[in-house]
Amino acid sequence: MSKHPLLSETEGEQQLLLGNEAIVRGALEAGVGMITCYPGTPSSEVVDTFRRIKAFDRYHMEYSINEKVAMEVACGAALSGSKSLVCMKHVGLNVAADPLFTTAYTGLPGGLVVLSADDPGCHSSQNEQDNRAYARMAHLLCLEPSSAEEACAMTKEAFFLARSLEQPVLLRTTTRISHMRGAVTLGQLPKAPTTVSFTKNPMRFVPLPAVARKRHQAVLDVLAKARIIAEHSVFTLETLHENVKIGIIASGVARAYMADALEQLGIADRVDCLELGITWPLPTERIIRFLSQHVAVLILEEGDALLERDIKALAKEHGLSTLLSGKNATLTEVLEYATPLVQTRIAEWLDLPQRPSAPDQALLSATQELPNRPPNLCPGCSHRAVYYAARKIFGDEVVYSSDIGCYTLGMLPPMRCADFLFCMGSSISGGSGFAKASGSKVVSFIGDSTFFHSGMTGLANAVFNKHSLLLVILDNGTTAMTGHQPNPGMVQESLGEACQHLDIEAIVKALGVTNVRTVNAYNLAALTKTFTELKDMDGVRVVIAKQPCVLYARRALGKRPPNVARVIAQNEDTQRCLAEFACPAFIKNGDEIAVDESLCSGCMVCLQVAPKSFKAVKRQGGQQ
Amino acid sequence: MNNRLRIYCTGVGGQGTLTATNLLAKTALMNGIPVVAGEVHGMAQRGGVVESVVLLGGWKAPKLAFGEADCMLAFEPLEALRGLPYLAKGGTIVASSDPLPPLSVSLGAKAYPSMQEISQTLNKYADKVYLLPIRTLGKENGSIQSGNTLLLAAACLLNILPFTVESLEKAIQTFLPEKLHASNLASIARAKTALKEQGFLS
Repeated sequence: MSKHPLLSETEGEQQLLLGNEAIVRGALEAGVGMITCYPGTPSSEVVDTFRRIKAFDRYHMEYSINEKVAMEVACGAALSGSKSLVCMKHVGLNVAADPLFTTAYTGLPGGLVVLSADDPGCHSSQNEQDNRAYARMAHLLCLEPSSAEEACAMTKEAFFLARSLEQPVLLRTTTRISHMRGAVTLGQLPKAPTTVSFTKNPMRFVPLPAVARKRHQAVLDVLAKARIIAEHSVFTLETLHENVKIGIIASGVARAYMADALEQLGIADRVDCLELGITWPLPTERIIRFLSQHVAVLILEEGDALLERDIKALAKEHGLSTLLSGKNATLTEVLEYATPLVQTRIAEWLDLPQRPSAPDQALLSATQELPNRPPNLCPGCSHRAVYYAARKIFGDEVVYSSDIGCYTLGMLPPMRCADFLFCMGSSISGGSGFAKASGSKVVSFIGDSTFFHSGMTGLANAVFNKHSLLLVILDNGTTAMTGHQPNPGMVQESLGEACQHLDIEAIVKALGVTNVRTVNAYNLAALTKTFTELKDMDGVRVVIAKQPCVLYARRALGKRPPNVARVIAQNEDTQRCLAEFACPAFIKNGDEIAVDESLCSGCMVCLQVAPKSFKAVKRQGGQQ
Repeated sequence: MNNRLRIYCTGVGGQGTLTATNLLAKTALMNGIPVVAGEVHGMAQRGGVVESVVLLGGWKAPKLAFGEADCMLAFEPLEALRGLPYLAKGGTIVASSDPLPPLSVSLGAKAYPSMQEISQTLNKYADKVYLLPIRTLGKENGSIQSGNTLLLAAACLLNILPFTVESLEKAIQTFLPEKLHASNLASIARAKTALKEQGFLS
């Protein structure tokens, strides 16, 4: 098998890489020895790429069961002397924050780089939190690339800094950077990762209060050194012009919008720029000098006004009279920036007449009327069958506590099986509290990967504190939403030799749940019977609804049923099936309902919903 | 900076839109044209709208907002309509005329606009509109997906993209798996006659 292009040893070669692939290349060039993660958009491609290029002679890697565990495994590896990378989406860092804050005190001699992929605009997330705040709170160096080329170079630099300062470094991207493609010039690929040896030193690495107090000062000393590095870094970029008295300070993806906006306005040579690649600690001397050289400075940063507040404080402290501008009604702390927005903001700031033309309102409202393509559970998704049965048996008598995965889409009509959701794993614990305080009956839904992530602890708590809820574990045997990454629930044959399958039913029982049923998620009769039996009982009851994710079964396990469903009668039952089961493979032509056989997965749940309306027929064209 | 071109690509999940736009970006880079591209992954799964952008000639930001695209490559006609606000005044559209109805249409809740309506609206807002039955033609050449390449080739032949059909052929041979070469090369070859059949080329 030929070597993957990302492992090319041709220095100077140019490749078009996804931002996340550029991070992989940067880590390889830095000599990364250990990679861990919990998958989450927009970070997932980093570790998926490490898995795909299979250079296992260079590094160890794992999909950990949650971000805290991923962080701790990576911290352990970095402490032992390996350059380590841990990857997660922004909300994952909340889960992983505990070990991060303390390892920042003790330091990690091997070097740890923490990738936080933030998601301004909530493309696939529950909030827009700006994780640059973690750098400030946990005392971490923070690097923020604005291009694919920088994603590679800054990852390499992050490892250099993490190793030389023995301090965890935060590499912070946003969706646009992680999922952009750009040219990357390859550097040298080392033969093997470089490690340092671990020397026992409990007075540093065991943070008893006496140790921790000293280490707090130690981390501040390291940050003082890092500040000087930031002052001289190649990633602190100044563009100055003769006799120009106005300037912009920018970071992250806002730098890209700034460059395009200045170009569009035709004023690139009339505005000075200070671009910050290391955004914590701030290169304060460079900032003060820039401020003192300019009468007016605009600060551009997507997300929270963190730079803006710090720079305003610096200006005040140094008695500078530079007129500072930043966020306003045009550029807010909400959603993503865009070139026309930044262009408008710069034009407002400089009182220029040019404004990007506003979109045609008539056209915009016309496009909003077009038939949409909202995300939906796939044809043959077993979650649909479970939700159908749940709605039949529980209706609106219960409160549905949902969790994070494809199955959150069960919120949509006609299923309407999600009433609230906080975060990964909250279906069980949030549901417990809701039921206890209100006396309502609660049905919780959680997927297999999310159960391992942080559902198990909630379940142990529910048993321990004698909560009352019905938990349905939607076990599709993979981490479906983020791209079928392995988790302990995956079957052994897919996991291979590197991982050990864990049995969910055995875990649930071991956690003290006595009322446990495992059912085939495609078997409506079994689902409805089980739900009916458990409905009015008290205490913790668990149903494990098993059926592989239909896409995973087809692509990875090579399983596709030989039959598809066909409509054989047009009647009330057929109409009811369309309205209540609403499989995306159904087609309606006038009043007639049919099944699109190219979309039908062959799950045959519709035959159970309306037995007299459908029949199974051989799939045309054979296996795909 | 005169060769700057901002392309908005849109299609339906599972159609191969991202593969096609990635091929376009790689071909540009192969020709020494500075390129940034952007795509949104995640909840845009099978059947959802998939948008991506390719910016040529020195742009930095991997994103397009409304009114910014010089050109739209639409791999599905309804998505061409939906993407229309992204097109700048005087922009060009190359789009598929083979519909893929969304679920709300299959379920009879919404109507899919007629090709005549789509064509009229596109022509109202764009300077030039080229509609081609790319899925039908792709299928004739051995794979529906190769119709996406036909659309790229058509954009080359119409001098919208700043590189030749030959370099697109080379990119296919360099970057796509060998089993896909024959159908994609056939679809490129078919692009010229397809444009002639529709009266877009003489």
